[in-house]
Amino acid sequence: MAVRVQFENNNEVGVFSKLTNSYCLVAIGGSENFYSVFEAELAETIPVVHASVAGCRIIGRMTVGNKNGLIVPSSTTDTELQHIRNSLPDTVKVQRVEERLSALGNVIACNDYVALVHPDLDRDTEEILADTLDVEVFRQTVAGNVLVGSYAALSNRGGLVHPKTTIQDQDELSSLLQVPLVAGTVNRGSDVIAAGMVVNDWCAFCGLDTTSTEISVIESVFKLNDAKPTAITSTMRASLIDSMS
Amino acid sequence: MASKIEYVRSKIVKTYDTDEIKKLIKDAKVAHCMLTDPPPVVDEESVLNRLSALTLGNGSGISCSCCGVGPFTSRAQQTAHYKHHWHTHNLKRKLFGKQAISLGEYNAKQDDSSNVSGSESEGDDNPNTPATQLFAAATRHCKAFYSNPKGQVFCIYRCLLHHRKEEMSLDGEGHVWSHRIKELLSPAYFRMAVVMVSGGHFAGCIFVGGSDSIHKTLHSYTTRRSQGQSQSSRDQTGNAPRSAGSSLRRYNQDQFTVHVQNILVGWNDELKECGLIFYRAVGAVNQSAIFGKPSPLRREDPRVRQLPFPTRKPTFKEVKRVFHTLASIEVYDSLEHFQKALLALTGGKMPVKTTSDTSIAEQARKVQKPPQKTIDRAKSRERAPRELPTQVTSSEDEGPCYIDSETPAGWIKTLSEQSSNGVITASRKDLLNDCSLVSCPESESEKEEQAKDKKKKKKNKKPEKAEKAEKPEEKEKEKQQPVNVKKGPPKIPNFVKKMWKAIMDKEGVSLEPILEAFEGDLEAAINTQDPNDGNTALHKAAIAEKPNVVTQILNAGGDPCIRNHLLQTPYAASPHADTRIAFRMFQAQFPDKYNYAKSQIPGPITAEQAELDKEKKLQQKRAKRQREKEKQLDKVKANKFLMLTDAQKKKNVENRCFLCGSQLPKVPFEYDDCKFCQMPCLHSHRKVRPLNMSV
Repeated sequence: MAVRVQFENNNEVGVFSKLTNSYCLVAIGGSENFYSVFEAELAETIPVVHASVAGCRIIGRMTVGNKNGLIVPSSTTDTELQHIRNSLPDTVKVQRVEERLSALGNVIACNDYVALVHPDLDRDTEEILADTLDVEVFRQTVAGNVLVGSYAALSNRGGLVHPKTTIQDQDELSSLLQVPLVAGTVNRGSDVIAAGMVVNDWCAFCGLDTTSTEISVIESVFKLNDAKPTAITSTMRASLIDSMS
Repeated sequence: MASKIEYVRSKIVKTYDTDEIKKLIKDAKVAHCMLTDPPPVVDEESVLNRLSALTLGNGSGISCSCCGVGPFTSRAQQTAHYKHHWHTHNLKRKLFGKQAISLGEYNAKQDDSSNVSGSESEGDDNPNTPATQLFAAATRHCKAFYSNPKGQVFCIYRCLLHHRKEEMSLDGEGHVWSHRIKELLSPAYFRMAVVMVSGGHFAGCIFVGGSDSIHKTLHSYTTRRSQGQSQSSRDQTGNAPRSAGSSLRRYNQDQFTVHVQNILVGWNDELKECGLIFYRAVGAVNQSAIFGKPSPLRREDPRVRQLPFPTRKPTFKEVKRVFHTLASIEVYDSLEHFQKALLALTGGKMPVKTTSDTSIAEQARKVQKPPQKTIDRAKSRERAPRELPTQVTSSEDEGPCYIDSETPAGWIKTLSEQSSNGVITASRKDLLNDCSLVSCPESESEKEEQAKDKKKKKKNKKPEKAEKAEKPEEKEKEKQQPVNVKKGPPKIPNFVKKMWKAIMDKEGVSLEPILEAFEGDLEAAINTQDPNDGNTALHKAAIAEKPNVVTQILNAGGDPCIRNHLLQTPYAASPHADTRIAFRMFQAQFPDKYNYAKSQIPGPITAEQAELDKEKKLQQKRAKRQREKEKQLDKVKANKFLMLTDAQKKKNVENRCFLCGSQLPKVPFEYDDCKFCQMPCLHSHRKVRPLNMSV
């Protein structure tokens, strides 16, 4: 299910939120409406956490994560890191990295198994990425852009890439990532895919400007129509929590 | 190259020249270089078709188009390729518009330099085609470019066509733009106003056609003369001064604002008729003078536009200059002229060839093609290649000595010659060792180089004859060099070969009889480097792990500072502990014989100290083994303890944690008489046995 949402009259929801299969971060200080849209869709399955990174609200572009972990830039303060650590499930590893390309969300695109990264990313960061997020890391570009994190949105079921990606590149990338990829846009023709939307395996949020064609493309690529959160995170979770308390 | 760029004169047509304009803009279209590709249309059906057609195999059958590799036979091969440095290198080359290189070329390049970035400049491939350069220049320019059927290209300031906030799409044909240019003929463009306010100066003028109808200038004293800053901005920094001058300036500023507004109110009717009003007012104070309450001008008004270029102090003369600049349309007779002018203006590096007609035609053809690439501000910038100077500091009083790429190869050669003639001091020798690395040691390439030098000299000799007389130094050099040429590749004397063989021999043959038998320059013979790997006799002895041979060679004059081709000194080349100690003991014995600073020997050591060190290490090893044994024993005990039931554990006298079996601290954590080493242990023990069940 793809939902349209706006952050304080801004359509770039991917900038102000980070969605994965095991948690969701939303920027602190947004209107309660933005938060409640996420809460309404996700709260039964995964925690929705208010967070900031280095005092900024652009958490979606600064951080990178999947169901296994979350990586934040070195500018994150200790208090923020502690808050994030306390709010996320115990299985999610939180790691801070020293990286010159500090907008990690812009330079890394990943799902739960693979990650595409900026060709100039530090070797150390690449290693941390592989360890924390448990992914296979590939240095790549998307449609001649090095900011792979901005121009590609990935989930375990599919991916949307920059509209000018050639068919051949799409084929190569999808074979590399092992998920089907399609070139497309969000927010009425915006090519900055990841800034315009966030997606996990069963749910997507995109800017209010997104047209119905774009929505239907997103739903078919990410296979959101028939998607349900996995049993372990929905039905079993309640009973598990009951028995553990 | 700069001299080659021709500054093309353009014809100027004024916007108020109605007849000229009419001729010019008839059927005018937006120039090709401004247009962008329309965004591709993505609809659901095409996506579904694509998805159904897409098969995700195990990576077989897919190839890497970037490197031209494949098709891959397995997933493993595919991932291995994408993780290879070579692939990253090619990706970056592609970003800069260069051709991908093959694996062989890449490896060769890696050998040359350890530069992985893929940003080295090369003469052969030109990253920017003229089309992309032109596009990049055009899209950022403050003027818009049009072409008409006559082949003319003309440039007009964008601010004349549209307001800054108004976005006009350039995708596809750019119809909006060609429609806008037609409006130049409307009577509104016949009347324009220019208003400028800055630093207590005001100048405004309303132009009808090409001439000024009303104008007014005003000046009052509001800026601090010596400091060069307006009084209001000084006041905003914090403590406002209370001097007579400052209050005078504050008063003047207020009066000035009122005056300007009054002037504008007086022009109300004329301003209403103006089609365009241009202003320059930087900062809140200046803007309030123009857009304040009584003034008829409004910021939201689409006619009110900012000046697109920097201006000088607002005076009547300056206002007139600004107007004429704005109103002028540059007309170039052909596309080539325009291209030359634009690239020259924007500092394009493209050399413009005016001599050959074919090249111009080619360029024109390239320009007419729609641009394929947009400018990527996202991509990382190319790094400028900077060479690091090799700094070689020599000891003693000779001072530092620099060798970089600019140092002539001949200089190094003369230096090496001097050393062989015994002119050079010992401390300069280490410098030479470094040089031998710089100048390729392989005999073949040296031969070639020398051959080239010879040729050069022959060519140079005749014209230089006159100079020679003036420069005796050069003469000397020339004399020396033929000697060098004759020498050819370094020949290894038989004695040295014999010595090396003896060293490499597995049996412990003493070197002394060989060394004693030799007559001549013993030191030079010992320090001869093997052309294959750059090893001296000392290197060979060190690698062969022969401590006593090492000592013998060191005694005979083997320099421990010479580096082989792997940049290792003999000490560093030796993997053997005793051999290394032999070096250190020698240093202790003869602290002044060599300059040990460059030999990488960590420091002198005496025989007793070496003995003591050995003893210490042995003891440490023993202690470690003991500790490990104890640990093992403890583990067995802990396991035994853990096998007991909780009731038995409580009775047991051993102080162990009930959960992990480790030793308890002095005050253990406990509940129900169960003892634990840490809180987590207690928690997990407790979780397994909830209170109600344990009772």
